[in-house]
Amino acid sequence: MARNISSLVIDSLYDRAREEDPAVAWFYCDYNAQQEQTPIDIMGAILKRLVGRKIPDDIRRAFQQGRRPLLPDLVRMLRIAVSSLPQAFICIDALDECRPQDLPELLESLSDIVRESPIARIFLTGRPHVIEAIQRYFTAAVAIRISPNQDDIRNYLEKRLDRDYAPEAMNKDLRAEIVTTILENMSNM
Amino acid sequence: MSRTTSIRDVIFGDGNNNCGNVDNSNTIIYNSDEDAKIMRWLSPLEPENRHHTVRADRFEGVGNWLFETSEFLEWSGGDKAILFCFGDPGVGKTYLR
Repeated sequence: MARNISSLVIDSLYDRAREEDPAVAWFYCDYNAQQEQTPIDIMGAILKRLVGRKIPDDIRRAFQQGRRPLLPDLVRMLRIAVSSLPQAFICIDALDECRPQDLPELLESLSDIVRESPIARIFLTGRPHVIEAIQRYFTAAVAIRISPNQDDIRNYLEKRLDRDYAPEAMNKDLRAEIVTTILENMSNM
Repeated sequence: MSRTTSIRDVIFGDGNNNCGNVDNSNTIIYNSDEDAKIMRWLSPLEPENRHHTVRADRFEGVGNWLFETSEFLEWSGGDKAILFCFGDPGVGKTYLR
């Protein structure tokens, strides 16, 4: 559900930004890819997205010097890139799926960017326990619990039933009963 | 030499400054060989791919309520820099994926 929400938010921000530069960057943390998803490569991926095709001179120069960028280099480049944008959105999904020892570095990098660039907006998702870490790094954070509401569930069920592979086996009454029963059971959970 | 360049153009960009920025699948296309190298140097990760998979599984209209909440509005148009959406596994992830 959270992942679903992330992709929805990313697309909605992206559509809004489309008129100007698409200053929307995102990253989906994945438990199965923890080894590759280091804070340095996550921040690098976000930077790639935010610079788009117009690679700033400071990045080009650093590349030509040949050294691999370190996390502080990337954070500095990100701050410069963000400050040249009218608005920048950074979305990171499933923080609980990154390596626990990587989370502080990741949040600290994001908080460096926000501190220097008030126009930056950060969207994060994760399991409830991550909120404690987030509160340690950010003062201006709002949190909202994601749980599917009745309309979401009904909407989903109706669409799934529309796609049923044997619709002739289900009359209107059965269909209505399926929806009602599932909604009742969900609200008792 | 110019022949090589034109082949690179086909691979890394469409040569049109007005529409090469982002194509319809929001994948960035780069102008030159060096630009593409810089991008790989910044990070080997490509978050676009994952986004396409996730959004393909999404159900239209599900989750739209979020945009109406005061928390979302405070974040997108107000002065709150961070929005954290949290949920337990099992609150509907499987049903709504």
